Amino acid sequence: MADMKSTERKGAGAVFWPLFSVFMGLAASGLMMTLLGADPIEVYRRIFAMAFRDGYNVADIFAKATPLILTGLAFGFAFRANLFNIGAQGQFYLGCVASVWCALRLGHLSPWLVLPLCVLLAAAAGGAWASLVGFAKARFNSSEFLISMMSTYVALALMNFLLRGPLREAKGEYPQTDVISEGSWIPQLIPHTRLHWGFVLALAAAALAWFILWRTSLGYRIRAVGMNRDAARYAGMDSGKIFVIVFAVSGAFAGLAGFTEVNGIQHMLVQGFSPMVGAEGIGIAILGNAHPLGIVLAAILFGALQVGGNLAVQTSGVPASIVGIMEGFVMLFVILSYALQIRLASARSKRKAREEGDRR
Amino acid sequence: MITGLLAGALQMSTPLMMGALAEVYAERTGVMIIAIEGIFLLGAWGGFVAAYSTGSMMLGLLAAMAIGTATALVYGIFTVKLKQHQIVTGTAINIFAAGLGIFLYRVFFGVPLLPLTVDPLERIAVPGLSSIPVIGEALFHQNALTYLAWALIPVGYWVLYKTQLGLILRSTGENPEAVDAAGIKVETVRFGTVLAAGALDGLAGAFYSLGFLGMYTNDIIGGRGWIAFAICFLGNWNPMGVLVGALVFGLADAMAIQLQTSGVTLVPNEFLIAMPYILTIVATVARKRFNVPATLGVPYEKERR
Repeated sequence: MADMKSTERKGAGAVFWPLFSVFMGLAASGLMMTLLGADPIEVYRRIFAMAFRDGYNVADIFAKATPLILTGLAFGFAFRANLFNIGAQGQFYLGCVASVWCALRLGHLSPWLVLPLCVLLAAAAGGAWASLVGFAKARFNSSEFLISMMSTYVALALMNFLLRGPLREAKGEYPQTDVISEGSWIPQLIPHTRLHWGFVLALAAAALAWFILWRTSLGYRIRAVGMNRDAARYAGMDSGKIFVIVFAVSGAFAGLAGFTEVNGIQHMLVQGFSPMVGAEGIGIAILGNAHPLGIVLAAILFGALQVGGNLAVQTSGVPASIVGIMEGFVMLFVILSYALQIRLASARSKRKAREEGDRR
Repeated sequence: MITGLLAGALQMSTPLMMGALAEVYAERTGVMIIAIEGIFLLGAWGGFVAAYSTGSMMLGLLAAMAIGTATALVYGIFTVKLKQHQIVTGTAINIFAAGLGIFLYRVFFGVPLLPLTVDPLERIAVPGLSSIPVIGEALFHQNALTYLAWALIPVGYWVLYKTQLGLILRSTGENPEAVDAAGIKVETVRFGTVLAAGALDGLAGAFYSLGFLGMYTNDIIGGRGWIAFAICFLGNWNPMGVLVGALVFGLADAMAIQLQTSGVTLVPNEFLIAMPYILTIVATVARKRFNVPATLGVPYEKERR
């Protein structure tokens, strides 16, 4: 990760390179569309037109971005400590389970009580699950990458088990829960749209991540461990403790995403929904340079692609999975842009060295 | 019952063995194939499409190897040539592959009402041996890929530990500077190994669509690429360790499948489905010492010597 850290971008580069990656990613996806015989310019025009057709769709962009901001933070926060939390999907599912359980059991209480409880339980479920990964890393030096990846499939199985048994709807027909009572729905932010206060919660989470990372001594230690684990140890920092804390916070973000989806959009828990939010969070975090503000912007971009893409493909004959391909291409071009920046920087420093040599 | 379970275990361990072995080769040279899940998926896809549209199993398997190599080529360009981070690059390719599998299936076949199928790879009974009671049917009545996987393990052991090539591969992961000093290009060794691993991973993926199910679905791999990745780890980067690991995980997989279809509910299905993943976590945590290749995941920079 040395490369990505050494290109901590300031100024124009911080805007230019992500835009470059997005543009190249969309261009490459456009090439794929031509393979299908579709006109990419026309498809992109439709995606744009659909995403911004009316207030409802624009609000939907932010509704789609909400869980993506949170899973982006889940990956990005750990990434700052040079830790790989690949298991946001599993932490998200456990957040969903905790939140729906809370809403089903306590839904009759006042919303002022239920909603905060759901938030707490969802964050705690995701955070506790993820902190086990951090613990394994700290105590046994196990690969956090491997364990967080594996734990996703365990969480998925656990959720499916609960949906088939204890949490199954009263009718007992499908592996899904009953609809939660209206008092436990997250109130809408804009009436008659799907945008709810969960978006504000996600922004607050991003602000919190920024505050922890750059305004507290804990954040300083997290970033120090991320920059150079050995140096941090020499400086007397307990990296094991940092691992557990980072994973707990990171998992809590993903768990919160479960709360916003269940209580804000779905109002129930259905087997196998949102299967990609964890993976998309990784792309978003990388595109946003693992910075909370960048993550928010990248999530909104992915949200717009999804809203516009899903609507546009209904009329253009291009399959909806093109949205996933666009996201994959953008990610690959982000990585490519890092390689490019390093090449450019080293060429620049060589030129400088040569010029200085000439002057002497 | 025992024969069936044993046969199932050998069957399900086949792609894990291939994938983990490919991972051993690559990681011995210092490169983790994080894209393994995506390569499995695209191999399953490519193998199915080629076999379905040409009617030839052989072409299907070749196509799976070709698409596996092509994916590994992209991975190699990013990680070996451009020296970008392996986990990040691999994750990007995995996301990309998930979208691409669905996308291309739709491009080729539209939205079929019924899932398209091919006859799965034929099982070959080894004359004589297959009539041994209990184990004969399980061990010697498998498809060609299973026999191939079994053959690749001793070959892998021999190549890694008894040949010049194996020495170069192992040294590249442990001490690339020495390999470089001996006049062998580190990047070439790594890139070549990544491509070969990609071909083997593609073949492993095709086992699921062509050797087992006879069809392609979007969740056909379902994390088994990661299990192969983990087996390489747990097998201590040794083909013999891979053999043991693949058998254990193949058995867990076969048990989950068999109990699911037989309707026996001693334990919840989901527990059996989660079993390989839980096993991996437990084994990863319990394992005290690993012979991790010294430069695993670290790009080689010639100038920095």
